[in-house]
Amino acid sequence: MLNKLIFTLIIVITLSVAGIANGVEVGKVAPNFKAIDTKGNIVSLSDFIGKPVVLEWTNHDCPYVRKHYTSGNMQRTQSTLTEEGVVWLSIISSAEGEQGYVSGLEADKLTASRGAYPSNVLLDPEGNIGRLYTARTTPHMFLIDEKGILQYQGAIDDKPSARPASLKGATNYVKAAWTSLKTGEKISVTNTKPYGCSVKYGH
Amino acid sequence: MRNLLSSIGLICLLALAGTVQAQRSVVEDTHTKATIASEMSVIGTDEVVWLALNYEPIAGWHTYWQNPGDSGMQTNISWELPEGFNAGKALYPVPDTLPVGPLTNYGYNGASTLLIPLYTPKKITTNSIKIKASAEWLICEVECIPQYGEFELELPVGKSLASSENSSLFAEARQKMPEPAFWDAVIEIAPEASKLTIFMASEEIETIENAYYFPTYEGVLDYAEAQIVNISDDGLVLNLKRLTGSLVPESAAGILKLSLPNGEVTAVQIDPALKVVDAIQTQVPAAPVTSVEEGLPVWQAALFALLGGIILNLMPCVFPVLSLKAFSFLSAGSMSKSERKREGWAYTFGILASFGVIVGILLALRAGGSVVGWGFQLQEPIFVAFMVLLMVLVSLSLAGMFNIQTGFEGAGQSLASQEGSKGAFFTGVLATLVATPCTAPFMAPAIGYALTQPIYVALLVFFMLGFGLALPFLVLSYSDRIAKAMPRPGAWMETFKQGLAFPMLATAAWLLFVFNNEAGSIAMLFLIFAIITVVFAIWLWQQGNGKILRTIAVAFGILALVSVFWNVESQHSTESGETVSKTSNSKFANASTYSNAALTELTNEGAPVFAYFTADWCITCKVNERVALHREETIKLFDDKGITVLKGDYTNRDAEIAGVLSKYQRAGVPLYLYFPKGQKDAIVLPEVLTPGLLKEMVETNNI
Repeated sequence: MLNKLIFTLIIVITLSVAGIANGVEVGKVAPNFKAIDTKGNIVSLSDFIGKPVVLEWTNHDCPYVRKHYTSGNMQRTQSTLTEEGVVWLSIISSAEGEQGYVSGLEADKLTASRGAYPSNVLLDPEGNIGRLYTARTTPHMFLIDEKGILQYQGAIDDKPSARPASLKGATNYVKAAWTSLKTGEKISVTNTKPYGCSVKYGH
Repeated sequence: MRNLLSSIGLICLLALAGTVQAQRSVVEDTHTKATIASEMSVIGTDEVVWLALNYEPIAGWHTYWQNPGDSGMQTNISWELPEGFNAGKALYPVPDTLPVGPLTNYGYNGASTLLIPLYTPKKITTNSIKIKASAEWLICEVECIPQYGEFELELPVGKSLASSENSSLFAEARQKMPEPAFWDAVIEIAPEASKLTIFMASEEIETIENAYYFPTYEGVLDYAEAQIVNISDDGLVLNLKRLTGSLVPESAAGILKLSLPNGEVTAVQIDPALKVVDAIQTQVPAAPVTSVEEGLPVWQAALFALLGGIILNLMPCVFPVLSLKAFSFLSAGSMSKSERKREGWAYTFGILASFGVIVGILLALRAGGSVVGWGFQLQEPIFVAFMVLLMVLVSLSLAGMFNIQTGFEGAGQSLASQEGSKGAFFTGVLATLVATPCTAPFMAPAIGYALTQPIYVALLVFFMLGFGLALPFLVLSYSDRIAKAMPRPGAWMETFKQGLAFPMLATAAWLLFVFNNEAGSIAMLFLIFAIITVVFAIWLWQQGNGKILRTIAVAFGILALVSVFWNVESQHSTESGETVSKTSNSKFANASTYSNAALTELTNEGAPVFAYFTADWCITCKVNERVALHREETIKLFDDKGITVLKGDYTNRDAEIAGVLSKYQRAGVPLYLYFPKGQKDAIVLPEVLTPGLLKEMVETNNI
């Protein structure tokens, strides 16, 4: 009993310290999370071990997100990747009352009306997953490989603009990272500054 | 809806081009009036003509700097210029920080003007030229609306002539630009922190009250984190945090904003040399404060640590735990000399080992650039939660509900000497864990000094501190005379042991109070239920040997522990919100919250200021507040002398306060500073206050 107590204390100290460091790092294991999707199912990142996963932070009213959806760019990226076996999780971290906050039903309607292809849309109004991943903007993209290692984080492309015209000639970082990953090549750009609206976390 | 309308508005406006004037082109989008203007009304060949892009957003909205921070966007301009003309990169005025929830952006509230150089060719064949530009910029309140405009200027060519219409616009714009660099700087970038050193002479530093760095590129620092300003022999040092996994920047160039006395602000461009390192070396803060000693010699720090450790035995937070040690000592009469010595040393090792662990973590965190201080473990609610649980279990064990085999309960019972040593070791561990938030006289300078020194010096100082804490009982365990004087063991010891449960429960109550302030009352309720469940599980376990029964008991225990973890974690993320809403327990003369800015403002006015730094887990602080601060005579004294009180609460981690502590070479609270009337240098008061001492301080120093 005594040894156990001391052991517990040591664990507690270690955990407290580990809790101080946060954030995610390319090349390291992406932190696991649990969330509720639009259908009320509990989805956790560890469910998808063995499959590559894309995380997309989104807010349908954000002009930068709208650029990628009204032009069909996001949907094309989603369908290309999901057809190749990638799990695509769209995550909404807008707090209740903030821009982009939706119920499960509304989120499903948005998916249908926009013709989007996410595998699941996750609702994170508390902002827990967003803070865990230090998601800062919408869109903010993460690509995790089938072993659960983060391979890319940052912007969706290299044109930080809300104008649809900017899509012409833009390099889609997520697509590029996925193409390299599936062919076993080295991913050339693994870490970029995300651009867009701020994630509308609760205060 | 507003978004929809504005985007319709945007689309309509896309078709509109700016009204053409000779030297100005104006576009009004939904939320901004934007103007491009030329500094010259007639342009010449082979020269630089400056263009201005001015934004006037509607009230309450902001635009962005070239590095917008966590979100947002810089201005994108595409030019359509006649043959041979070139436009350079836009120059941005000095930005401000714009916090949005947990994120921070860089930009401008209200109007702002960018300046763009236009290089004219050696030969221009036409009489006038047309300059076309399309610009996209982002404007946000909380929500964001991209704005767009197409501009067109028509400028005659000839002998160059300045535009009188636009001269004031350019003059104002130039005033808001950063000054060119005249300081060298270097930045060390480690995975989770960076350290910017700007080489300045000490007379330059003296004029600086505060500093803030705006990096041009991503990856230099975490925008939302506080920047901690220190002074070293080399110059000004900014300790910055970085997000784990952030980009390694190509350049660390940026704008350094400096606050000067009398509220003036100046900003300079700097381009620090970039060094990527594994960890930031903790710097030695050479604070320019007269009342802090220049630094102690090693032997003196070690001696202070030893004395501090001994005195720590008397501090209120250690006392309950030490009563256990005292109790186990009561059985000394029934032990052989060698057994007593063994227990004495086991206790000493328990203290030293746990000191070792805590100091190791502390130094590792510091090396990683985190700003943590003495007693940092009590800033983690999970740790506090488990300490509460531990205290409750120990006290229930003392009360006889069950038996934790720690040895200290067993005087008079047939104590295996090995169990006795284990128990003594454990008592040492426990004493250290609760003792660390306390600081005793002599300790603060020693610890503050140790944390800034090479590791072997730090280890020496902490070793002496732990040894000092252990020393009284170690000495006692060697004394035959005291052992003989102990009363004979008997039934009374059981009663006495039960009585000891109460000081332990008192410690639990104090920790619960700390936990409540850190994690909130709901988390505290959960914790209390979890403790009850654990106790219930132990009780269930004791009801028999049945497998099912014991499985259920274990399940209850695990459930309770997990619920604490789960719940505290979710509370922890909203920690900052909790702290704000937390009611202050201080009645101390309307103390306002400490901030460097508030202090600067007050000392600039020449007002006398008393600043004190406290934490709920710091019993020494609370005792001082009771005994010396929250007393009518003190309040009256301060009121009479017009002393403003500032309170810094260090219950939760706070970078600004950590910066102040390090400035005064302290590693933890309490810290009491007195700035006499008209003075900017603080008098540092001792860790133990008395009303008499405060009175003397005020009367001898109030000039």
